[in-house]
Amino acid sequence: MNGALDRTLAALADPHRRRVINLLREGPRPAGELARDVGLAPSAMSRHLRTLRESGLVEESHPAFDARVRVYALRPEPMIELLRWLEETERLWSAQLGALRDHLARDRPPASAPKDGEPAE
Amino acid sequence: MSSRVLVALRVPASPERAFEAFTAEIGQWWRPNGLFQFTPRSPGVLSFEPGPEGRLVETLASGRVFEIGKVRAWEPPRRLVFGWRQASFAPGQDTEVEVTFEAVGEETRVTVQHVGWDSVPQTHVAKHGFPDAIFLRRHAEWWQVLLASFKMAAGKRDA
Repeated sequence: MNGALDRTLAALADPHRRRVINLLREGPRPAGELARDVGLAPSAMSRHLRTLRESGLVEESHPAFDARVRVYALRPEPMIELLRWLEETERLWSAQLGALRDHLARDRPPASAPKDGEPAE
Repeated sequence: MSSRVLVALRVPASPERAFEAFTAEIGQWWRPNGLFQFTPRSPGVLSFEPGPEGRLVETLASGRVFEIGKVRAWEPPRRLVFGWRQASFAPGQDTEVEVTFEAVGEETRVTVQHVGWDSVPQTHVAKHGFPDAIFLRRHAEWWQVLLASFKMAAGKRDA
């Protein structure tokens, strides 16, 4: 499990690979085009693409017209799902800390409106 | 490295009071959240059994007690660490919450760090072990674009 995480982080640690991810955001591209746009030799690019593929960040397909061409596309699902989960967790704690703050504020009613009975709902 | 959620808020109290409220009074201020049910029978009432050997538990209406996590650090008024498990986690799956209390003038900054979602299995989404919220935020622009396009592609986002 942590192996997958390590692979992902390692995949994203390289600036060329991040550049690839950014390019793929615009849509799927053939490996050759990626190599050209990033400014890498095809062999270097294919190593980077393999790393990205192994991390699950991108997937490879072949267009129907030419099985030799490899087209790469981003796989957003894992990022989206995790991002969503992180957002929900963040929202949970923001709400809970807000509730804690409100709870503590009842100890110290504002000077302008001192109250000492039960707070109304 | 693991996924991490970091949230901080200032509360109108001393660190001592904030620590006390966070722990001894959690049952009074915690708001149950449907997305984060500890058990299918939740919500019950949360409480800390205090001290370094203590734990955070939820007491259900039936009287059953579910252990959310053991206390891993109990250092009033500065720091509190406890485990966090939902009943749906697989055995051995675990996450951890660290809460720190820092005086800021007359108030206290309470910071919650929730780490370890990566260890939650596939059905809980983190299978792909993505980087933490800080990393995500650093790349927020393209994540947001991605998210927007995903939402569009997926049609409606479920509630």
